[in-house]
Amino acid sequence: MPTKPKKTAKSAKAVAAPKHQNTRLWLMYPPKKITEPIIWQISQKFKVVTNVRQASVTGEIGIVCLELSGLRPEVKATIKWLVGLGISVEPVEISVVES
Amino acid sequence: MANEKSFMKALKCRECGHEYPLAATHVCEFDFGPLEVVYDYEAIRGSLTRASIESRAKNMWRYRELLPVAGEPTVGNQVGYTTLVKADRLAKRLGIRELWIKNDAVNYPTLSFKDRVVSVALSRAVELGFTTVACASTGNLANSVAANAAAAGLKAYVFIPADLEHGKVINSLVYGANVIGIKGHYDEVNRLCAEIAGKYGWAFVNVNMRPYYAEGSKSMGFEIQEQLGWRIPQHTVIPMASGSLLTKIHKSYQEFSKLGLVSNTKWKIHGAQATGCNPISAAQKQGLDFFKPVKPNTIAKSLAIGTPADGFYSLRVMKETGGHSDDVSDDEIREGIKLLAECEGIFAETAGGVTVGVAKKLIASGKIPAEDSAVLCITGNGLKTLDAVVNSVGQTREIRPSLREFEGLLETEDAACKA
Repeated sequence: MPTKPKKTAKSAKAVAAPKHQNTRLWLMYPPKKITEPIIWQISQKFKVVTNVRQASVTGEIGIVCLELSGLRPEVKATIKWLVGLGISVEPVEISVVES
Repeated sequence: MANEKSFMKALKCRECGHEYPLAATHVCEFDFGPLEVVYDYEAIRGSLTRASIESRAKNMWRYRELLPVAGEPTVGNQVGYTTLVKADRLAKRLGIRELWIKNDAVNYPTLSFKDRVVSVALSRAVELGFTTVACASTGNLANSVAANAAAAGLKAYVFIPADLEHGKVINSLVYGANVIGIKGHYDEVNRLCAEIAGKYGWAFVNVNMRPYYAEGSKSMGFEIQEQLGWRIPQHTVIPMASGSLLTKIHKSYQEFSKLGLVSNTKWKIHGAQATGCNPISAAQKQGLDFFKPVKPNTIAKSLAIGTPADGFYSLRVMKETGGHSDDVSDDEIREGIKLLAECEGIFAETAGGVTVGVAKKLIASGKIPAEDSAVLCITGNGLKTLDAVVNSVGQTREIRPSLREFEGLLETEDAACKA
């Protein structure tokens, strides 16, 4: 009698395709990053769509309101890369965690 | 209350002015700007008078026309109308003619002003058909959502950083809320909570309910004006975390003035922060119209928001009204708490120490003139932050059960005083 293949955690994981995600963020650039083409670099490094909704650039801070769309792992990797550059990455609500 | 109609007109983007229906939404689809409730002031003028307000129950809902609910509020019927204390002894110590304390340290039920905003958010959530409410918080907001949701029979999810002090966690768990600790840095917790709020169809009080939630702060300002005998204070000193409370108290003054409930006198709004988390006060002192994010490091945990959502709008209010801002060190915060307690018998949490400390600086520097009158907003109870003052309030002196020993102690103290 043929045995039923066991469903392992690994095979269950394999069938779950990454989900598409839309994330709305505020990016705040420190002064040394203000002149760098960060948004262009995102499009070169990650498979995400970037959509700038607001921006304000002064000599002291760069603020960009950005929509990021793509597969969840790509969006997460993009955020991690931005944080690694020293850019503050906040959700569009900014401070969700209140006192 | 006689009038049960809605006086809300729409939600409106604070950046571009685009209007939206009165749903559970908080961000403009065009520029992601925050949404705010707009009202039909002409209709309100016909309903809200000094006499009608004075005839109502002494709670925050006596200004119902100017709060964002469509019908009778279902949450918070015992919230608000806290005392406005004439603080003569503190006024003398700070060197100002007249000083008042708006004391939300005794706001019901969780001893902070958050009960005001949560009452509005939950009342509106019930109107919109929600049965589950949520928040992400490190303290007062979590307690308030848990307590008010329990009283309203709503299911509550409270998200907290996993390393939060156990005492603060108990204050939410006791009400039967689902308390979820999230491991990770503040920024990660922040982003995850925003994601959860977007994914689940709950009323997240400070996310999709934020336009309604924030309006609850206005009730503190309405009460100040009524309790002062229907006038706007010359100076109001307000602690700033996100900055929302400051902008909403300003809005409450504008609204009463617009409706003719108070005379349109000049007022100045001043903001108070801790030096260990001072993005708004630092910007104000430098004359900037934007703030730079900071990493908080202060005992004033309830004000420790390094990237304040309403920072820009707070700066604008202070500029428009000619107000100022300052910040105080942890030691100055402790001194402020003690000063308020010793002069007025009011034990405030660390944010109260910040407000008193900053008021002291603003009066000493003449930014609040000594001949003027000021209101200080106290937003939470000192019993919530005992750890902050545990080593700075002195110690008990122990004696055996002997009168002789007690009298000996008094003699020693008298001698020390004379020396």
